[in-house]
Amino acid sequence: MKQAGLDLGSVNTKLVVLEDGERIYSQVVPSRFDSVQAGIRLLKVYRAEYGEEPKQLVVTGYGRVNFPEGRVITEISCQGRGCHAYFPDYAYILDLGGQDAKVIKKNAQGKIVRFIMNDKCAAGTGRFLDIILKGLDLSSEELKLAADAKPMPINSMCTVFAESEVITMLAKGIPKPEVVAGLFKSTAQRLANFVESVGHPECLIFTGGGAHYNLLIRFLEQELKGKVVIPPEPELTAAFGAALLA
Amino acid sequence: MENRELWERLNMDLAKHDEFLAPLPQVFTELFLNRKNRPAAMGYFDAVVGDVHGIRVHELFAMKEAGAKVFSTFCVYVPEEIVVATGSASIGLCAGAQFTVSSGEKLLPRNLCPLIKSTMGFKLDRICPYFQVSDWVIGETTCDGKKKAWEILNEYIPTYVMDLPQKKDAKDAQLWEEEVREFAAFIERETKVDLTAENLAQGIEKINNKRQALQRLASLRKHNPAPIHGLDVLVINQLAFFDDPVRFAAQVNALCDELDVRVKEGVGVAPADAPRILLTGTPQPLPNWKLHALIEQTGAVVVGEETCTGERYYKDMTEPADNVTDMLANIAKRPLKVNCACFTPNQGRIEDISYMAKNLQADAVIDCTLQFCQPYGVESYFVGRAMEGTIPYLRLETDFSAEDQGQLLTRIEALIEMIRA
Repeated sequence: MKQAGLDLGSVNTKLVVLEDGERIYSQVVPSRFDSVQAGIRLLKVYRAEYGEEPKQLVVTGYGRVNFPEGRVITEISCQGRGCHAYFPDYAYILDLGGQDAKVIKKNAQGKIVRFIMNDKCAAGTGRFLDIILKGLDLSSEELKLAADAKPMPINSMCTVFAESEVITMLAKGIPKPEVVAGLFKSTAQRLANFVESVGHPECLIFTGGGAHYNLLIRFLEQELKGKVVIPPEPELTAAFGAALLA
Repeated sequence: MENRELWERLNMDLAKHDEFLAPLPQVFTELFLNRKNRPAAMGYFDAVVGDVHGIRVHELFAMKEAGAKVFSTFCVYVPEEIVVATGSASIGLCAGAQFTVSSGEKLLPRNLCPLIKSTMGFKLDRICPYFQVSDWVIGETTCDGKKKAWEILNEYIPTYVMDLPQKKDAKDAQLWEEEVREFAAFIERETKVDLTAENLAQGIEKINNKRQALQRLASLRKHNPAPIHGLDVLVINQLAFFDDPVRFAAQVNALCDELDVRVKEGVGVAPADAPRILLTGTPQPLPNWKLHALIEQTGAVVVGEETCTGERYYKDMTEPADNVTDMLANIAKRPLKVNCACFTPNQGRIEDISYMAKNLQADAVIDCTLQFCQPYGVESYFVGRAMEGTIPYLRLETDFSAEDQGQLLTRIEALIEMIRA
């Protein structure tokens, strides 16, 4: 039996298909401000390849309510389910998505017992990091140097103010690697506070597009004084969880 | 007199007022009238909202023509009994519209509670006939934002401020009783009516009857399946501040009679397994129905509000007495039983929430704070700690705007999934 999970996110739309519990297909495409169309396209591509649409479909993510088919489940439940499949022993999940950040606490059975999400503001989300990093226009060499650079703290967590703070730093001649290190450290501090408002994990599951930033992971471990584990393809865990729930 | 003529006489900005009221019929039809299985006795309240800036304003206008005064309040601590005893009117004011927030921001900081900004905007824009028909605003010192905003509002309409203490010790109770006595003297001066044992006893009885009717309605919500939607009760709670207290109590009791039959027959507005939500936090002033609408859109039912547009408004009665002095003392005692986050410490509120959750068979508690509300925002720490491990709990922060509805819905749906899992 085939089960599919479609995660209609603000930045990317992701499809995961399972057959008898095993993953047979996954695909990620940019949402380009219309995750519903992106989802329809993804299913079409899948159908062209496999000849039929998956029998059971769960849709999740920001665009879920407007999607024409599938059972609707929130990204919180899906994320919890997907992470539980990888890490049944760890309770806390931090998900850093495009336009939100959330902390989820699950119990030993994988049932969600608590969650919080950031308030209506881009601060501390994946979009915040993307905007600032884009503005910095880094070379791969500069990004590498950031790993050992002294972090220059960024105080402002409003995306617009942080951007102007970064511009001021660069104008003062502060090297880009220090600014980048500071950006990740400041974000890690904010995210660690966010996690600790729910609990104090010895080991944190970190998912979403944000979990691809190695430097962020390192600072997060420092701030939390604990271990951070990343599932394989951390941007796919919600879609994977959706497929498991389908 | 037609509504428009009345509004003109009240010096309202008619064009702006039309713009403000234009979306209301559609919103009200979608949220309320189109819903199935509503009690027939909601008809009265629907009619009041349907002409929310008409019927009642005409009544108040007529009262004024006959020599009475209109006093407007924002808070459950202001003693309505005293005003009603003199034959004048005590009404609550509109304070829950995004429409007027931007005007409020002309005079107030942006980083301020939307309730205060909305209030100020209603006066500046001259689109609230209740504000326009009022002789006085009765403010109180329940938070710093309000306390300072009254000083500005006083430049637009005479504003009397009651100094509410921040603790509930004996000396605070004494201060508050003095405040109530001063208020009584002020009302006597303004209305030119002396308080007597007779009229004050009547004032107390009228307001107590209103509270009793609301308590009866609240208590019916503990049944499963829920006999009435939370959204319908919210609108009744909101109208409780505006309407004529005697007529209102009779209408609430008529509704309760109908709900008694529903309960006896096991009829509800949602299936017996629908998640039951207790809401706690800051008030939802008219015309803000956002949170109840979102919660009930998911198939859940709101079974109680530990808020000022809920339990805090009606949970305590004023004890009767046989002379004016003792009556005023009793009037002063009642508000100090109300557990608002403006008090420190405020452990009683946590006990209220826990009791209500149990009594109403709630499956989850949603603690919702208006953006920039310091007392409730800070107190959420204790609410969360008390709920943790005992009942599923969600903390939300919002304002009166519509733009965060998607984000709120995601959180509420996830909570419902948590309960159902």
